[in-house]
Amino acid sequence: MLLDFEKLGGLKPFLIGLTVLVCLFLILPILFIAALSFGSSQWLIFPPPSWTFKWYQALFTDPRWLYSALSSLKIAAIVTVFSVVLGFLAALGLNRGSFTGREALRALFLTPMILPVVVLAVALYALFLQFGLAGTTIAFIIAHLLIALPFSIISIGNALDGFDKSIEDAAILCGATPWEARIRVTVPAVSHGIFAAAIFSFLASWDEVVLAIFMASPTLQTLPVKIWATLRQDLTPVIAAASTILIAFTILLMVLAAFFRKGRKV
Amino acid sequence: MGLSVTADGGRKTPWRDGSFGYVVPALLLIAFFFIVPVIMLLMRSVLEPTPGLQNYRELLGSTTYLRVLLNTFTVAGLVTIVSVLIGFPIAWLLAIMPERWSRLVLAIIVLSMWTNLLARTYAWMVLLQRTGVVNKVLLSLGIIDKPLALVNNLVGVSIGMTYIMLPFIILPLIGVLKSIDPAILRAAALCGANKRQCFTRVLLPLSLPGIASGALMVFVMSLGYYVTPALLGGTSNMMLAELVAQFVQSLVNWGMGGAAALVLLLVTLVLYTIQLKFVNPNRAR
Repeated sequence: MLLDFEKLGGLKPFLIGLTVLVCLFLILPILFIAALSFGSSQWLIFPPPSWTFKWYQALFTDPRWLYSALSSLKIAAIVTVFSVVLGFLAALGLNRGSFTGREALRALFLTPMILPVVVLAVALYALFLQFGLAGTTIAFIIAHLLIALPFSIISIGNALDGFDKSIEDAAILCGATPWEARIRVTVPAVSHGIFAAAIFSFLASWDEVVLAIFMASPTLQTLPVKIWATLRQDLTPVIAAASTILIAFTILLMVLAAFFRKGRKV
Repeated sequence: MGLSVTADGGRKTPWRDGSFGYVVPALLLIAFFFIVPVIMLLMRSVLEPTPGLQNYRELLGSTTYLRVLLNTFTVAGLVTIVSVLIGFPIAWLLAIMPERWSRLVLAIIVLSMWTNLLARTYAWMVLLQRTGVVNKVLLSLGIIDKPLALVNNLVGVSIGMTYIMLPFIILPLIGVLKSIDPAILRAAALCGANKRQCFTRVLLPLSLPGIASGALMVFVMSLGYYVTPALLGGTSNMMLAELVAQFVQSLVNWGMGGAAALVLLLVTLVLYTIQLKFVNPNRAR
């Protein structure tokens, strides 16, 4: 009755109405930002008096915005590689190992994901200050890697759970060395998990705000840090343009991820 | 796994000796850049400026800082309650509605969840400002006669945080509701229960562990949020994560920063342990 869509009775319009409202609540602010980025009003009047590309122009002609976008891309790409490699190895060990404390170790690896990021950010900032690494690319990579790695361990671990290890053993029995078998048999078999790990790791680094604020220096900023610093001064529509680009990028990656999920089923 | 003969030299369980090596790189990373720095930060809270507990005494003894704690718990509590009240009906419908519709709703939820946090917060800063769309709509509908102050206070923070937390309660609740067997509700109806009884005495109790677990997760996440409270809240009503950042960034007071971080960390860990018990009651006992 209550769990049968057709027999909900009077509850049905109520539930559907609420769901429509919440969907609007979730989607409208995103569409609103996209619309504002093309609006001509400096003061973000909505609906905009006329349409323009000038905020995108301002964005693309300002070397500081471009440089921060490039830094973001570079850091996210390096983090993705490290996260996938370390995540694959760790997932392999956790998945197949029989050493004691394996479950505790798994929990430890996932902790950076659940702890308040600000604590990690402040702690790392203190450490990097002592070693003279504050404000360097290495600091950014290490910090972002800490929060990207759990995504890799989960994604690749799930994929490994669904992979029968005896196939790898068969390859070894047929004369492959253990690493040859792992790279040529296991890696292709769990490739959907590896792609998911790569996409999530990239997004985790690309979107990271709190760690990045503490790792940044006046000369080295990622895109979110640049947005943050600008936002603290005023609400300029240039940020709407930057946000819209970030959103478009996210949608692209999400579609890509959905595509890989589908590919696995076929 | 069940193989007794492998090409690794025929040893019985080839992973017993080698497998730990695979986790070592990740373990080193976590040890050096997570465990060590967090412990060092917490040490500073009892060592700076002089050894002792004076930082904690100051943190828990002054009304200014207690105010911050109160703000943090109030906002997190409010956000959690509203998210559950809105999220539960949505998850309920999503669990039973035809798939082609639920897919669309899910896509919207996931899109909003993965949209950059700053982009979402910026949207609310613009929407909620004095001359923003929300105030304009309320004014033109005649609900209010002068613009409300919706940003730079805890109202703005609560709205922005609810927006962010809704997906985190809806998604797990869908799974919870899907796992309830509809036959149980049919049985209740056959035994003469009316709709309200079916809801309050069958559906709600069966989903309660899932609701509690999701609510705790949202509460914990809200407690430690930094970006949204910093941008939508005012300087006069800070939350705990902002306090940690302020001690370190503006005041360069590592002792107090470490103490505030420890309070945040402890609350998070305690609540998270409780949450784990809801997820897996057998293991926790």
